[in-house]
Amino acid sequence: MKLKKFLALSMAAVMTLGIVGCGGNGNDTKKPVDKTEDGKKETEIKNSENTEAGGSEGLVGYTDIVLGETGTDITATIKVLTNRTDLLESDAKHPYQEYIDGFNELYPNITVDVEGITDYANETLLRLQGGDWGDIMMIPEVDKADLSTYFMAYGDLDSMKTQVNYLNNQIYENQVYGIPYMAGANGGIVYNKAVFEAAGVTELPKTPDAFLDALQKIKDYNSDIVPLYTNYAAKWTMGGQWDAAISGSATGDSTYMNQKLLHTSNPFADPGDGTHAYNVYKVLYEAVSRGLTEEDYSTTDWEGSKGMINNGQIACMVLGSWAVPQMQDAGEHSADIAYMPFPITVNGKQFSSAGPDYCFGICTDADDTQKQASLLFVKYMTEKSGMSYNEGGLPIAASDTAMPDFYAAFSDVEFVVDEPALAGEEDLLNALNTMSELMVNQGGDDKVMSIVENASTGAKSFDDIMNEWNQLWTDAQETESVEVTGASESVEATE
Amino acid sequence: MTAATAKKKNFFHDWLKSRKGQQTIIILAFMFIPLLLLFVFTYLPFGEMVKFSFYKMKYSTPVDKRIFVGWENYKAVFSRDDCFGAIKLSLYYMVGSILQLAIALYLATMLSFKTKGGNLFKGLMFFPYLISGIAIGFIFKFFYTRGFVFDTVLQWCGFQLDNLPYWLKDQSINNWSLVGSSVWRYFGQNMVLFIGAIMSVDAEMYEAAELDGANKFQQFMHIILPSIKTIVTLNVILSITGSLSAFDPPFVITSGKNGTGTYFVVMNEIAHTSQKVGLASAMAVVLLVIIFAATILQKLFFKYIFRNSDSDDETYDAKKRRKKLEKQQRKELAKQNGPAVRKGAV
Repeated sequence: MKLKKFLALSMAAVMTLGIVGCGGNGNDTKKPVDKTEDGKKETEIKNSENTEAGGSEGLVGYTDIVLGETGTDITATIKVLTNRTDLLESDAKHPYQEYIDGFNELYPNITVDVEGITDYANETLLRLQGGDWGDIMMIPEVDKADLSTYFMAYGDLDSMKTQVNYLNNQIYENQVYGIPYMAGANGGIVYNKAVFEAAGVTELPKTPDAFLDALQKIKDYNSDIVPLYTNYAAKWTMGGQWDAAISGSATGDSTYMNQKLLHTSNPFADPGDGTHAYNVYKVLYEAVSRGLTEEDYSTTDWEGSKGMINNGQIACMVLGSWAVPQMQDAGEHSADIAYMPFPITVNGKQFSSAGPDYCFGICTDADDTQKQASLLFVKYMTEKSGMSYNEGGLPIAASDTAMPDFYAAFSDVEFVVDEPALAGEEDLLNALNTMSELMVNQGGDDKVMSIVENASTGAKSFDDIMNEWNQLWTDAQETESVEVTGASESVEATE
Repeated sequence: MTAATAKKKNFFHDWLKSRKGQQTIIILAFMFIPLLLLFVFTYLPFGEMVKFSFYKMKYSTPVDKRIFVGWENYKAVFSRDDCFGAIKLSLYYMVGSILQLAIALYLATMLSFKTKGGNLFKGLMFFPYLISGIAIGFIFKFFYTRGFVFDTVLQWCGFQLDNLPYWLKDQSINNWSLVGSSVWRYFGQNMVLFIGAIMSVDAEMYEAAELDGANKFQQFMHIILPSIKTIVTLNVILSITGSLSAFDPPFVITSGKNGTGTYFVVMNEIAHTSQKVGLASAMAVVLLVIIFAATILQKLFFKYIFRNSDSDDETYDAKKRRKKLEKQQRKELAKQNGPAVRKGAV
């Protein structure tokens, strides 16, 4: 009896000591150990990749996998984190389970557990720090230099390029860490064709002014229709969608976002030719101040907006092409929903930003079986699942050419995919964004929301806002001591 | 030698078994285990956060790449407009919390006397507190939406929709809308606490007061309020602290935009969107200091307010007089005994 009591007590003591041990170690000693392990593992991976080329044992790299042949003897359970919680609902048109079933036909012994996370961007960052999150994750906003701390490299860019498109997002030192699950046109406009035609807008507007005129026509035609719905209250629909238009769509330059923007002085200044960031955001400011948006922006409703555009209560919204299927499914008028590029013409030609969505990243701490199973799954999702097509995306696998129908309006439009940052500047955009807090193209919703607020109250003029942003950007460039070379360019542009 | 260790072991074993040994173990366990838990799950993370506040870092920055910046983050907290501008918004919530306490105290007094359907009212008014803050946020988002619940109710009362403001869009009014939702949520809880305290007041006191000719208001001022001063103080301190750290209503209803970003919302934004974890940690530490200061000030304030009812049987002034008298007496006593003490010391 007494011995038992003693045992229980000592157990309690040991357990609390254990807790303290964890607490103490977690901060100082454990991390460095992890790091060295990571380092080792990384070199191991690199070695194994090298040896693979020679055809010896180890992981079969992404490019060498033949689906249905490689690794059919693997038994494993892999856990996948996804941002697409909508695909986990059973009423989704193409639920995630469909892809898993397809995968299990080829690999019946690999079990795939999918976990959907609603507040994906924030929660995954915390879970990455905690470790032990699973095997495959859609890579959140991690500094490029830290990619290898968390994720396994698929291989070098040149060999991966032969099989996969849109790889330019998650790359560091020529190693690929993420493969997109879909790609699409960004910063374009989802619109209701029937409404546009009924209001007499027969030709798609190609300049900001033409677009604003079209909105005005719609308002004159029927004032119950909201010409441009901002979706202000949903937040992510602001920075997340408008920022995408300032790169390819507004400049036609694939190096703008990740290379030129970093060195441009006053990137938000008016270039005078109806292009660049200034004119993208000006469309929003003007639309709000001319009353061409919903009357109360503070209570907009994202889920409701899908049905409203479908049945013609909303004429258009600025979103990525991924939104088109959702709008089509939201009501009976799926044929009315169409997609057009952002109304900016650069030197007589229209462009559209295009790029990858979230990318699959594979946990670098998993053992080889898990990694191999994860690689197989990622390759399946990319090449065989048809997920990108089903979700209204552009083809990811290089061998694939199928494009959804609603890209028809893009026949004369050139897709511009942002080039990755130059070597040594991979994290500069992140750094400038954090420093300036503008978070351009990285979820900077606040700044775009402030445009709506100021346009509505008239507290600040559009030029004041842009000057403020220019100031913030310049200050950030100074603290990060970035060489500003774009000065002469913007002067030329204004001339 | 083996015999000696065995004997020692035996002795230790016996001691553990003995009543005294068991007692010691239990005393130590009861003392250290809670302290350990407190330390590991409260003070250690807090210490880490204070450490973060001196670094320039993101969540995803590995430990060895964090840059030490000294007091830069704290300087930024005081120099940025959005950090201290946000503190001003707390004033709205403070006004709201005073209003909320007044309503709660009034209703508690009403309901603690015999009222028809008293328990039903208590239940109905306490109910909002049981709903989660996020759900309340969504309720009020629709409540305030143009042409929805609130506007409809006001239209029944004869208001024209065109004359009504946009409750969440109009920057001169949207903070009051948010405060309203917060008052609605918490006044029931305050009321229940007040009722609990009022229940403990001896009913004979009311009778005695009535015989002396005191009306209800006088009863409230001179019997109820002094008797429940502890709980009033507590509620005021909690509400003021709560209004400094208001988060749910602005975060859910307006995303903290449109001039409704309270300190917490701004902090959340800086930590999670801009990823300036160091700056956000510094903001948290500054807020802690502000809350400390506010609490101490309130303590002093209430000590002053209730100085006349500090003890049950004498007023502040009487006590002061007594203390003075005692002091004088002691002085005189010391004078008399002075030489004797000195003698003793030598």
